[in-house]
Amino acid sequence: MDRKDEIIRIFAKEIRRILEQSDADFNEVQEIRLRAEAPLLLICRDREYGVTPAGILKEEIRGVHMVTREEIRETMEYISRYSLYAFEEELRRGFITVQGGHRVGLAGKTVAEDENIRTMKYISFINVRLSHQVLGCGDSVMPYIWEDGQVLHSLIISPPGCGKTTLLRDLIRQLSTGSRGRRGVTVGVVDERSELGACYQGVPQNDLGIRTDVLDCCPKARGMMMLIRTMSPQVIAVDEAGSRQDLEAMEYVMSCGCKLMATVHGSDLEDLRRKPVLQDMIQRKMFERYIVLGRRDRPGWVDQILDSGGRRLYGPERMAYGA
Amino acid sequence: MVLKLTGSLLVTCSCGALGLWKAAQWKEHLKMMEQLKKMVLMLKREILYGHTPLGEAFGQVGRRTEGVLGELFRGTEERIGRGQGELFAVIWQEEVENRKKDMFLSDREIRELCAFGEHLGYLDLEMQEHTIALYLEQLDMSIGFYREHEREQSRLYTSLGIMGGLFLSIMMC
Repeated sequence: MDRKDEIIRIFAKEIRRILEQSDADFNEVQEIRLRAEAPLLLICRDREYGVTPAGILKEEIRGVHMVTREEIRETMEYISRYSLYAFEEELRRGFITVQGGHRVGLAGKTVAEDENIRTMKYISFINVRLSHQVLGCGDSVMPYIWEDGQVLHSLIISPPGCGKTTLLRDLIRQLSTGSRGRRGVTVGVVDERSELGACYQGVPQNDLGIRTDVLDCCPKARGMMMLIRTMSPQVIAVDEAGSRQDLEAMEYVMSCGCKLMATVHGSDLEDLRRKPVLQDMIQRKMFERYIVLGRRDRPGWVDQILDSGGRRLYGPERMAYGA
Repeated sequence: MVLKLTGSLLVTCSCGALGLWKAAQWKEHLKMMEQLKKMVLMLKREILYGHTPLGEAFGQVGRRTEGVLGELFRGTEERIGRGQGELFAVIWQEEVENRKKDMFLSDREIRELCAFGEHLGYLDLEMQEHTIALYLEQLDMSIGFYREHEREQSRLYTSLGIMGGLFLSIMMC
C-alpha cells in the first residue's frame, strides 16, 4: 500500500474519491483539515489549499468541497476502525494515531468530570497531520553527543514547531542502530504522545532503530522508572519534558548510570535558567550537551551546540538539516 | 414376497434414518447456538476488558474457533482490514448472509445475528456492553428452548421416522 492509499483510506467515501483524484503530492502534504460545514483544506509545503469536488487544489475557497457532518461521522468510523470505544483514552487526549504514524487531531464537545475530560462527543473538527521522518537529520549533531565511545546526556532546546521531535527521533534511530562506526546502544523511549514512534497497535511506524524499546502513551516520569527497572536501557529518550515530576525522573535516570536524551521547550539556555528545577540541573552541570534549535528559513535549524558549562561548540551554518 | 419385504425394510430404514437425521439436526442446532454464545462471550471479554477494536476482536475469537462461525468472524476481520469504506453493519450483514446456508440457524436467529452487528462499535464501552448483553439474552432464550425440547424432539423425530416408514410399508403392501 503506498502512502496516498494509506492516508486516504481513513476518510469518508466522498472525500476519499476527491483526494484520490487530486494531484497533490502526498509526500509533500502536511495536513488535511476537515471541519463540519466548512471547506476541505489541505496544507502542502506550508501553504493552504482548498480541494474542489474534482480534486483540484485551489488557493481560493470558492468552489471547494464543503465537508458535511455525515462525512465527519463516517471518517471517524474509519479512523477508529468502527471501534470508537477502543479509543476512549485517545479521545480524552484529543488525538488518535493511525496506521503509518499519522496523527489525527480531534475537536468537538468535551464531556468533563471534575477537572478531567471524560470523553469527547459531537466531533466536528479533524486535523490529519501526516507523519514525516527526516532520516539523517541528526547526522551533523551525532559527533557532538558521542564522546569516547559513550553517549552524552543531551538536552535539545527549541521553541514549538522547530523540529525538536524530528531531530530526537533521528538521534534515537542512529544511537540504536549505530552509525558511522559507532556501535548501537539499547535505547528506551517513553513516548507519552506517540510522536516519536507513532506506534500503531504497539509497533512503531517510524524508524527508531533496532535496539529501541518503546513505552507508548505512558506518562514520562513513570515510564522512565519502568524502563530502568524492566528493560535496562543504556540511553533513555523523552520528548517535551517539562513538569517537575519529569525533571525529577530525568535526574534519577542520570544518576542511575543511564544516559538521557530529552527535549524541552525554550528559546535558549538562558531561557532554561529561569525555570526552577532545570536551573538547578544546569548549575550542577548535569547535561553534557545542549542542542539549541531555532527557526530560520525552515524548521530544524540548529543554532548552537553547547557543552555542560554553556561553552559554544559549533555555529549555525554548518548544522542545518532538512535542506 | 421377498421383494416386498426387502422394499418395506428399506422404506422403514430410510424413514427411520430421516427421523434420526432430523433429531441430529436439532442437536447440531443447539450445539451451534452454544458455540455462538461462547464466541460472543469471548468477544465481550476482548471488547470490554481488552478495549480491542472490533476487527482484531473478531479475528482473535475467530482464530480460536473452528467451523463456519470461526470463518464468519475471521471473514469479518478481513473485510474490516481491507478498509474499503463500508459501514460495519453492512459488512457484518453480508458476511452472515454469505454463510447462512452453512449455519444451522432459523430465519429469526439469522435476523437476530444480523441485528447484533447494527449497533456494535457504536459509541462507548457501555453501549457495547448493552448490545452484547441484549444479544446474549436472545441467545440464552433460544438455547433454553432447544435444551428444553431436545429430548422430546429427538424422540419425536426418531419415532415419527420409524412409524412413518412402517406406515408407508403397510400401505405399499
